[in-house]
Amino acid sequence: MTELILQTVVNAVYAASYMSLIAVGLVLIFGVMGVINFAHGELYMAGAYTVVALYSQVGVPFFVTVVAGLIFVGLLGLLMEQSFFKPLRDNPLGGLIASIGFLLILQTSAVLGFGVRMAHIRPPTQAKFELIEGVVLTHQRLFVIIAAIVLLSLLHLFLRKTKFGWAMRACAQDREAAALQGISLSQISRIAMFIGAGLAGVAGALTAPLVSPTPYMGHSVIVTAFIIIIVGGIGQLEGAVVAAVLYAFVHTFVTTFYDGVVADITGLLLMLLVLVIKPTGLFGTKERA
Amino acid sequence: MPRAKANIWSWLLGFCLLVGLLVLPQVLSYSQREIAVLLIINVLLVSSYRLMTLTGEWSLGHVVIMGVGAYASALFSKRLGIPVPISMLLGAASAGGVAAILSFPLFRMKGFYFLIGSFAAGEVIRLIWKYFTYPFGGPKGLKLIPGFPDIGSISFFEPEIYYYLCLFVVAVSLFVLYRIERSRIGLTFHAIHWQDKLAESVGVDTFRYRMLAFVLASFFAGLSGALYAHYIGTINPTRFDVEEMVFVLIWAIVGGTVTFYGPIIGVVVLTVMNEVILRSLGFDTARPMIYGGILIVSVLFLPDGLESLIPKVKGWFSGRVKKTGEVLEPEKSP
Amino acid sequence: MSEPVLQVKDLSRHFGGLIAVNQLNFAVMPGAIHGLIGPNGAGKTTTFNLISGFYAPTSGQVIYQGRDVSGMKTAKLAEIGLIRTFQGTTLFKEFTVIDNVRVGCHSSARSGFIGRVLGTDREVEVHATAKAEELLEFFSLESMRDELAANLAHGHQRALGMAVALAADPKIILLDEPFTGMNPEETTRMMQLVRDVRQRGITVMLVEHDMQAIMGLCDTITVMNFGSLLAEGTPQEVRNNPQVIEAYLGSADHAA
Repeated sequence: MTELILQTVVNAVYAASYMSLIAVGLVLIFGVMGVINFAHGELYMAGAYTVVALYSQVGVPFFVTVVAGLIFVGLLGLLMEQSFFKPLRDNPLGGLIASIGFLLILQTSAVLGFGVRMAHIRPPTQAKFELIEGVVLTHQRLFVIIAAIVLLSLLHLFLRKTKFGWAMRACAQDREAAALQGISLSQISRIAMFIGAGLAGVAGALTAPLVSPTPYMGHSVIVTAFIIIIVGGIGQLEGAVVAAVLYAFVHTFVTTFYDGVVADITGLLLMLLVLVIKPTGLFGTKERA
Repeated sequence: MPRAKANIWSWLLGFCLLVGLLVLPQVLSYSQREIAVLLIINVLLVSSYRLMTLTGEWSLGHVVIMGVGAYASALFSKRLGIPVPISMLLGAASAGGVAAILSFPLFRMKGFYFLIGSFAAGEVIRLIWKYFTYPFGGPKGLKLIPGFPDIGSISFFEPEIYYYLCLFVVAVSLFVLYRIERSRIGLTFHAIHWQDKLAESVGVDTFRYRMLAFVLASFFAGLSGALYAHYIGTINPTRFDVEEMVFVLIWAIVGGTVTFYGPIIGVVVLTVMNEVILRSLGFDTARPMIYGGILIVSVLFLPDGLESLIPKVKGWFSGRVKKTGEVLEPEKSP
Repeated sequence: MSEPVLQVKDLSRHFGGLIAVNQLNFAVMPGAIHGLIGPNGAGKTTTFNLISGFYAPTSGQVIYQGRDVSGMKTAKLAEIGLIRTFQGTTLFKEFTVIDNVRVGCHSSARSGFIGRVLGTDREVEVHATAKAEELLEFFSLESMRDELAANLAHGHQRALGMAVALAADPKIILLDEPFTGMNPEETTRMMQLVRDVRQRGITVMLVEHDMQAIMGLCDTITVMNFGSLLAEGTPQEVRNNPQVIEAYLGSADHAA
């Protein structure tokens, strides 16, 4: 029993890692641009299929494909920004709807390119640590955990220490005031979109060997990401990380000890509860107007 | 005098439309008739969705609500043996009832929060169908749902006959939806959309009216679900997932939601395009991509939907006088 | 005079640590034009929002027609005749002028759902439209009946805002800064309108921070400062009250 609990904790830490990467990207995009990217799950999917294409089919080294995933999906993000988020800047609902259109395009592209079936990827490493007897952490999962910690720390430093980071936080506070201070909204939006999408791409690329990608994998991912950003408070980067950990633990434990569908329902009910009681999220500070 | 003339034209147009709809099954093939039945059901679905949007809230749970009507009606007839026509109405009422209950948490939210909240609530309902094999049939859903009973020798199993049944039910429903919008209730919905605080200050209970819009929209969505369930004979949780909701959004956005007929134009044009043009080209798997492209292009370049083209078309028909008048006007101002 | 139509007793409202309204007391008599004034940030608008049900009081009571209505919802208050207006030009701008006023008739134009669908509510609606038209005439807006509210001149929009409120059959109407942003000519016309409203038997309470504008209009003026009652009395008394002069002089540019 103890092993099972510990193993579940390890699994939850892994889940929290890639969920944080996805949710933080979504929050960053929302915070800076004020728009919800419904295609975020499909950006994750695109990251996973980068690995399918380059690593599985061509044979490029795995870590190179992860970097490629970051760049490719980051560029997809830029494409979204330039083609519809930017022209629809004053129309958040329009931006959201357009991102749903983009979701369909990405999904269909994956179907056309790779078929609807699960793509099985031979893991780059089968090695694993046995933490104690019966509790296992594969190297592949460890990569995800390390990558999440490193990337989120880098993002934190970027936001706190650089000029662009400062400008981005200013935009998240008040876009008009930021624009008055001479911050270029277009430039900052492009950076936010590249980073936000790129994080989803990295998450997809790193987890691809563990989840067997399908073109439709984005759906459950976006649901998870919504739960996390609502529970953490929309626009709250730190809140998203904390909520990702909370949700990962709840979901993993309920799945292990009860049932996957019940775990999904629990997560959704948690989100509804937060929406009803404190729509600014558990860690949101802004008072309701 | 011009007004009377316009009236005659609209009556004539309405008459032609009616005749066209009545003879339509006769000129269609068997499989096209099936599509026509689904199209009519979708017309009701998207029109009910528009009623919901009048108060300014966009839901992502509308297709799930349609599913509530479908499941409830199927269960009432299959498990309790209630006659199908009555179970359809009960199914619609169940959808309205679920909406009434959901109003309490959901209308504490507005705008984006409502969007996400309605999405979450819908997913919870769908997962409940998936989880409970009894009575909902789990992931495989319900099969062998009783069909609409024969009346004498008229068999509603035939798409042609079911088409007329749907046409009748949907026509009555659209009439009711239209009357609601044109009445003070519709005026109040619009008022809440534009200035809810001002509406409250003159005595409008905005919660009750938002709830009323949600319940009415859900009743008709549920009715469309019931029509669907007893026609197809099988339903499952995936049939009512968010992908289907995306189609409703596309119909509404491409058609436009300002006018009553906007979403109807959207669903008719896109369905015809989908079934006639894309199917004949054989782009089966690529169709969602084309839909996605259409959605983006229409949000960017036709933000007011296809309905915004109608006044222009009318302008062409009403002759040169108005056209020259329009050209003259800008010259007046320096 | 008889019982006050509206009374606040020890009314307080805190926002976190901030005390916006502190132990406020005053009474509005029927048929009066009662002003609530004070420098910016004195708590007038919060008081207004407390009375009209936008916020619930932290402590204390709002008594309307002898009945405790503290924390009652705005819509409910409107139904029993306590109507507020808004600062600036808050209207249904996408509606025609007549439809704006028709929405205002909400409480009096009742009908069941079936009646609405079948059209048997026609009599009620004809009545409501007639009432709306009468109000448009009262505010000299009848020539703009079918214009969009958004296209009206500023002064007309303000008048329309009052017409919408009057359509809801107020016993007391609360006007939120009705003179703000008006030129002298518009102000004079608006003052006459307020007097005309009182002539219809409606008690008027108004919030202003510009003291001069309402001196000639009000019977009684309540002055607030820093969330509390500073002074109360006739315009004459208030004008000569040293504390009031101090408060207005102290708060920069309202001395003139």
